[in-house]
Amino acid sequence: MLIKIPSAANLGLETIKVDVEVNLANRGLPGFEIVGLPDKAVDESKERVRAAILSSGIEFPAKKITVNLAPADIPKEGSFYDLPIALGILDSVLQFEIPEESLFFGELSLDGSLRHTKGAFLFALFAKEKGFENLFVPKDSANEAAVIKGIKVFPVENLFQLVSHFLKRKLINQAVYKEPEDRLPIPAEFDMREILGQEQAKRAAEISAAGGHNIIMVGSPGSGKTMLARALPGIMPPLSEEESLEVTKIYSIAGNIPPGGSVISYRQFRAPHHTASPVGLIGGGTRPHPGEISLAHRGVLFLDEFNEFPRQVMEAMRQPLEDGYLTISRSKEIVRYPADFMLVASANPCPCGYFNHPKKNCVCTPRQIRKYQKRISGPILDRIDLHVIVQPVDIEEFSENQKASESLESSGIIRERAILAREIQKKRFNGESIQSNAQMKNSHIKKYCKLTKEVEQLLKQASMKFQLSARSYMKMIKVARTIADLEKAPEITVSHMAEALQYRSKIYESI
Amino acid sequence: MEGGNIINIKDEKYPELLKKIGKEAPEKLYYKGDWDDNIFDNCLAVVGSRHLTSYGKMITEQLVTEIAAASITIVSGFMYGGDEAAHRVTVEAGGRTIAVMPCGIDMIHPEYQEELYNRIIKNEGLIISEFEGKFPPASWTYPKRNRIVAGLSKAVLIIEAGLNSGTLITAEFAKKFGRKIFAVPGPLTSEVSKGTAKLIKEGASVATEAKDILDFYKIISNKKSVEVKPQQLVGQFKDDIEKRIIEHLKKEPSEVDSLARILSASVAKVGTALSLMQLKGFIRQEGDKYYVD
Repeated sequence: MLIKIPSAANLGLETIKVDVEVNLANRGLPGFEIVGLPDKAVDESKERVRAAILSSGIEFPAKKITVNLAPADIPKEGSFYDLPIALGILDSVLQFEIPEESLFFGELSLDGSLRHTKGAFLFALFAKEKGFENLFVPKDSANEAAVIKGIKVFPVENLFQLVSHFLKRKLINQAVYKEPEDRLPIPAEFDMREILGQEQAKRAAEISAAGGHNIIMVGSPGSGKTMLARALPGIMPPLSEEESLEVTKIYSIAGNIPPGGSVISYRQFRAPHHTASPVGLIGGGTRPHPGEISLAHRGVLFLDEFNEFPRQVMEAMRQPLEDGYLTISRSKEIVRYPADFMLVASANPCPCGYFNHPKKNCVCTPRQIRKYQKRISGPILDRIDLHVIVQPVDIEEFSENQKASESLESSGIIRERAILAREIQKKRFNGESIQSNAQMKNSHIKKYCKLTKEVEQLLKQASMKFQLSARSYMKMIKVARTIADLEKAPEITVSHMAEALQYRSKIYESI
Repeated sequence: MEGGNIINIKDEKYPELLKKIGKEAPEKLYYKGDWDDNIFDNCLAVVGSRHLTSYGKMITEQLVTEIAAASITIVSGFMYGGDEAAHRVTVEAGGRTIAVMPCGIDMIHPEYQEELYNRIIKNEGLIISEFEGKFPPASWTYPKRNRIVAGLSKAVLIIEAGLNSGTLITAEFAKKFGRKIFAVPGPLTSEVSKGTAKLIKEGASVATEAKDILDFYKIISNKKSVEVKPQQLVGQFKDDIEKRIIEHLKKEPSEVDSLARILSASVAKVGTALSLMQLKGFIRQEGDKYYVD
């Protein structure tokens, strides 16, 4: 007897339909086989399914059981086939009716209960797209799936409950989507008003949040680079609904949504350490997985000690920095993960860290400094719009009044300005494929950033004096555009451009 | 020019002043460049710390530009930091300079200063060493080199020096050979001003302008006074914030954050003014501090 249960497989962020075919044969020795290119997790499903059925008080059929995951030539991975396989076996024993257009998904525990399983969100999306009406998922993953409207999501606690549901003894109630707490950014670790001094770096952070510009902070240890970076998510505009779904997809597939969790409603802050493996950072593996840069999609990727990151990693970041996504090619599949993040990098000026320090003496030779600074790849630096020097703050320089945090702007106020600036940009780029000033290509700059004669002359003069490269020239225009947007100015003026010049690359210039 | 040329101590062309240091005078001098006897007539050794601060850099530029323009030969040790600044400023002012190497004549040390090396020769300067061929630099060759730097010069100008530094060794040699010592005063909080302070305490002459040195060489500076009176300069700024920035920078070079704090203005406004003033050439940036130019 052959039972067909619909399920799906994820290839990167794409989902394709998979049929779980279960055959119980009366002839042949009793056994249990799974075919259709299962990976280790799928293959081990046999043991989980057997134990779970027995734990549910149902007898496991002593027949030759063959499970085929069709189409058979696509590799299957993950533990979520447990539920469809178990259900197929139970159905052929108990002969209940499974409503058509139902999709099953979930990992079984040996005691018959269902565990939180990664990827529920993608399954729900797939169900809606393909016209499935019912989706049965583990209870802990139900809120994640219930975000998608137009399908019925059933939270399943254990196998026995599901069988009772189909035997019409006790029905499972449909899951109701619980809205996550409001779409505010996460309360960042620091509020901007907690940071004393660093006026220019804070201003640069504001510009970067308002225009989506990548930023690098160079300064001695203890000068507050990390604190500034960690305060950044607090001044970024909230995620739009569309963006939030994009991020949720990645988090769902990576298994980063906690049990009972739902959509990711705030911008993510990822701070991988420089010893992390290239695959962990960029993404990849034999079955391509999203890396840290994809988890930072629409959020902040903070790379502390930027020059300590391996060259290979830096070079691999060039494509995502340019295009906003990463393509991973394997012999059998090509996967594309979105990776449109804001890069926030921090670096020491030299190996000892005290180059240009007001109090401490640097003990590095010029040769060492040059070598150290050259570790950052030039093409990457080219893609960073804002460069700031962060100096250690001497608390004695502040008056009592200045020390009082009330006199400083809070993250909330700065964020309001950033939101307004982003709205202006959204209007400007209506109909274009970009959303922020930082994403402008040269053609956009020509179209949207017409410079007056005066401003152009200033910029030309500056590029002679500061030896700006052609790319830096364009970067200055982009940054000036964001500064103008923060002031709601329709045109870039001389003072906008003059301020933008403050953020040109200074000490890493010579590379 | 592999191997360079050699001048023997018995040679007539051997610099008089160097011969006068007696037993310590090197037997042989290897050199590159065109040997012109009168290059040794008026030599001034300019030395500074390897870790020259932006202050030291500015002072070197101010003093040495004028001195070199008055046809005084600047002698130094080609090390990075203070020595490099002295050579570079001289070359840029179109003056002649002598670099005394701590290594064999066929080596350039540090090698990344090759461009400066070539410019020194091109500007009718000299590269000198008492070591032949590819003799590698070692910790003991640096002080030996310093004795030639001091020996060639009528006077030594110390820009910045730490305590126990190689720069002070050069000063010691100058004292021993009876040469005049000038030292530039600097902030006592700076490690590399402690050495110069010590020299001043011990009786070195204080150098605050090029005239101090030119007077010693009995050369009258032909530099016209281009100093702008502070009042005049400030008067040029119509913009209030620019005026206040200049006034403050005259007192103390500062970075943008502390300027904003002191002037109680937004950092955006101060940054804008600084960029514009820098482009107009009124101020300049060294490291992260701004100076009045």
